[in-house]
Amino acid sequence: MSLQTLPADVDTSGAIPERDLQAQERHEDELIMHLERDQFVAETSRPVARAPLSASARAGLWALRIFVVIVSLMVVYTFVSQLH
Amino acid sequence: VSTPVITASPLLHQPLLTDEDLARSRDRARVHRARRQHRRWRLLWLLVGPGILAMLGENDGPSMIAYASDGAQYGLGFFVPFIPILFAMAYVCQEMCMRVGAVTHRGYGELVLQRYGRVWGWFGAGDLTLTNLVTLVAEFVAIRVGLAYFHLGSAVAVVLGLALVVFTLSGGRYWRWERIVLGLALFNGLFLVAAILVKPHVGSVAGAFAFTPFPGGSFNTLLLLLASTIGATVTPWMIFFQQSASADKGMTPRDITHGRYDTAAGAILAAVFGIGALVAGAALLAHGGPGIQGFAGAGFPQALEHVAGGAAGAVFALGLVEAGAVAILTISASTAYAAGECVGASHSFNSSPRGAAVFYAANIGVALLAAAVILIPGAPLLSIALNANVLATVLLPVSLVLMMMLANDKGLMGQWVNRRSTNVIGIAVIAFVGSCGAAYGIDSFLRVTHVIGA
Repeated sequence: MSLQTLPADVDTSGAIPERDLQAQERHEDELIMHLERDQFVAETSRPVARAPLSASARAGLWALRIFVVIVSLMVVYTFVSQLH
Repeated sequence: VSTPVITASPLLHQPLLTDEDLARSRDRARVHRARRQHRRWRLLWLLVGPGILAMLGENDGPSMIAYASDGAQYGLGFFVPFIPILFAMAYVCQEMCMRVGAVTHRGYGELVLQRYGRVWGWFGAGDLTLTNLVTLVAEFVAIRVGLAYFHLGSAVAVVLGLALVVFTLSGGRYWRWERIVLGLALFNGLFLVAAILVKPHVGSVAGAFAFTPFPGGSFNTLLLLLASTIGATVTPWMIFFQQSASADKGMTPRDITHGRYDTAAGAILAAVFGIGALVAGAALLAHGGPGIQGFAGAGFPQALEHVAGGAAGAVFALGLVEAGAVAILTISASTAYAAGECVGASHSFNSSPRGAAVFYAANIGVALLAAAVILIPGAPLLSIALNANVLATVLLPVSLVLMMMLANDKGLMGQWVNRRSTNVIGIAVIAFVGSCGAAYGIDSFLRVTHVIGA
């Protein structure tokens, strides 16, 4: 088939036809509709605000943390001792 | 730290779009279509994943060996009802993770870091990395034990584990990763097949639900059994994994009911398959079971072969390979999520390796590190494997407390905060897990240092 016989609306330049771009954009629009606004990476990349913790809550967390670290060290010590 | 490629959205009122957004929105489009067309089973199929993977991922090599070991040493009595109770506890914890992930669209690590400060975020990530590394070593050991039954060595176990990690990571889609691992995880049912092959007395299995008293033994042995069995059911990596995977999957508050089905299905399957390993192990009770060293050579599969035939031994060995392989994939993923979240880099299976370099590097790197350990000649693999669950139990309370705080945070969760009943059960779980782990740690330490008699 020679170029002269092609229909007038066929793009032979090698570039993406305008209607394909529009179809792709429509497809992307449709896809975007399926995500909630706060699901976008641009939204989840924003850090959430720091929670206000009372002094007693902070003390409780630290106490728990110190306790767990001490017990973990005991487990590791026991593990190493049993190796010998 | 690499940043994701961002392209301008065709809709001016929408935020900028990344490849991760596009991949996730394709998955969500299918969910919305199924919901619109009232295709209930299709919707369930699309939304299951993180819950089943967290629960079956925790039915890992050390856990299945622990269950079989319980059965071989003590029989069915105490453990048949105890395992479902532990998975009910795991359901309470994991449902919270799923709900927080679906409502906030953020992982556990980043929320703790941003909401409660860097100290707590990094402490949590540190705990996780330590327990994950130890557990991953145990998973490679489990694969090695399974393969040893077929006369294959450590190198094959390492190549198999690492090849699976790399293969599942290729493709750049969460959906693809999840479906491959889900397909592998269903082979956890091999332990149920092994239980059937040992031909247990059905009446004695059913009778075990009467909850007979705890079997005899020293106080320390009792604590070790409790701590290691709890560590075989609820662990820090599950918390990180299910919340991050729920967010990565794109779950929303509208999907919470299905997320609960997913988590419950995972808990039921894991309990049934765990009891399968216990029943298979119990077949060895009268055949020198208490003396079997599960990780020294191919202990359990070979012992089962002598008692119940080659098929039972081979199925149990294949089950160990599966349990180790799936856990390597899920535990590496939880480490990668935590690394990306704490560093503030892209952390999604929907991102390309170039867009989420930290995530992919952590995923492969932690598996590589664990694989290297099992190739070290003379490494104390048996001790590492047996202590992995105990260490996870000891470190778990902090992760659970922070999870409860997130799930009760009205500023984050709005109407989806915990109910009072969930809080009561959650606090009871934390108290039980914390006291068992601490009691074992303290008692063992006092014995080793000869403060109390051995």
